[in-house]
Amino acid sequence: MNPVPHPPGDDTMILFSNINKWYGDYQALADVNAEVKKGEVVVVCGPSGSGKSTLIRTVNRLEEVKSGQLLFDGHDIHAPMSSAALNKLRSRIGFVFQSFNLFPHLSVLENIMLSPMRVLGVKRSEAKARAAQLLERVGLSNKAGAYPAQLSGGQQQRVAIARALAMEPPAMLFDEPTSALDPEMVGEVLSVMRSLANDGMTMMCVTHEMNFAREVADRVWFMDAGRILEKADPATFFRSPQHPRAQRFLSDLRAH
Amino acid sequence: MFSVYEILRDNWLLLLIGQYPSGPLGGIVATLILSVLGIVLAFPLSVLLALARLSPWRLLRWPATVLVYVVRGVPLLMVILWVYFLVPILIGRDVSGFTTMLCTLVIYEGAYLSEVVRAGIQALPKGQTEAARALGHSHLGTMWFVILPQALYNMLPSMLSQFISTIKETTLGYVINVQELTFAANQINNQLLTKPFQVFFILAMTYYVVCFSLTQLALWLERRVAHKRLGAAAVKTSEDGVSLPPPPVVVNP
Repeated sequence: MNPVPHPPGDDTMILFSNINKWYGDYQALADVNAEVKKGEVVVVCGPSGSGKSTLIRTVNRLEEVKSGQLLFDGHDIHAPMSSAALNKLRSRIGFVFQSFNLFPHLSVLENIMLSPMRVLGVKRSEAKARAAQLLERVGLSNKAGAYPAQLSGGQQQRVAIARALAMEPPAMLFDEPTSALDPEMVGEVLSVMRSLANDGMTMMCVTHEMNFAREVADRVWFMDAGRILEKADPATFFRSPQHPRAQRFLSDLRAH
Repeated sequence: MFSVYEILRDNWLLLLIGQYPSGPLGGIVATLILSVLGIVLAFPLSVLLALARLSPWRLLRWPATVLVYVVRGVPLLMVILWVYFLVPILIGRDVSGFTTMLCTLVIYEGAYLSEVVRAGIQALPKGQTEAARALGHSHLGTMWFVILPQALYNMLPSMLSQFISTIKETTLGYVINVQELTFAANQINNQLLTKPFQVFFILAMTYYVVCFSLTQLALWLERRVAHKRLGAAAVKTSEDGVSLPPPPVVVNP
């Protein structure tokens, strides 16, 4: 099922080679080999505790790995390096959290401007213009001066997406971006993600939104117990999953 | 009761400013100046100590931890005596009681306040640090732009209550002849000789009024901070089912 790792091609954005991770005696990731190509949208799905979030968090090294190599846009993320070098790499990896994690003491606009100014050294006026553009893109131009606490969950997550985009990352990672949202707010976040995908953004999304996977994903990875058990295009995956665990997972989903 | 009034009438200026301008500034004004200076100077020290204690570098973490534990494990009076005898030797000349007491308060309050700052930082949701690091901020950049502004705001009530403690702690300056409120009251007592209850009643009441008012202010502040925080959490809870645990605030005058 897992192909032998191969050298990254020009079209490789993220490459996992033999990634292993342990929490004490528990193996959270086991021999993960996978590739996200440039411009591709990959949806990672699977039951709770299967290692999806752990996997996506290894990409910007919020989680360390025990062994293996992870290339992001040609950079070896888990190689020994100075913290300054790691910070620089991280600034180029867009990451959206389940719980939004907006900075509550800053306004929406300031949330988006902070990192371009303080990490990339962008001028204030430039950062502001860019932030305003991004807010328009996520449909929240009228909320620039609001504070996160004044926004709904869906609006906060859209701001969080704009904040990540402000760093102009070559790829975006989404860690269950809609799991903390009320059902009626899921749609607005997914439609922003859908428009990003349509614009050609490389995306890796951990999500339980199977409709999103069906419509937007180029590839679906199914994980269980720290392994990627199946990689397929969504049509194949949803019509005829190969792995028995994936079959059971999908039939459990349909039962609801 | 009449004699309390008489004592106040005859000695209010001494209680207020000590023997100033013919002598050093004293009385309650000195007490307040000492407390304010103490807490204002202790504050940056406490932030540095807290950052050092939470630092990923052992070389910073260990000395800061030792300092905080030692100071917190020793009575204030010991620190006063150490500073009193040690500082003149270290700098090679005598220092005034006021300066000695100020140094002591900065060290002592710095250590206590650093624990408040540390608690305030650690009470913030982990996601704040993760989000900042994911955006490429350094450890210090994360602290400075994201964590400290939130933590310090949440800590305002605790800092005010630490200030109230400081006011009460300045009384210990008495043992090294710092001319503050207790010193002034004792001067009056020594003059009158026969009215210790009245004099020390006045002294106690003065401290009580000052500290009680500040405690009320701290409670009000705490409600305000909690309200603002709850406001944020309430929106989150009702709209996305995510509730953040409120960081503990200790008001403990």
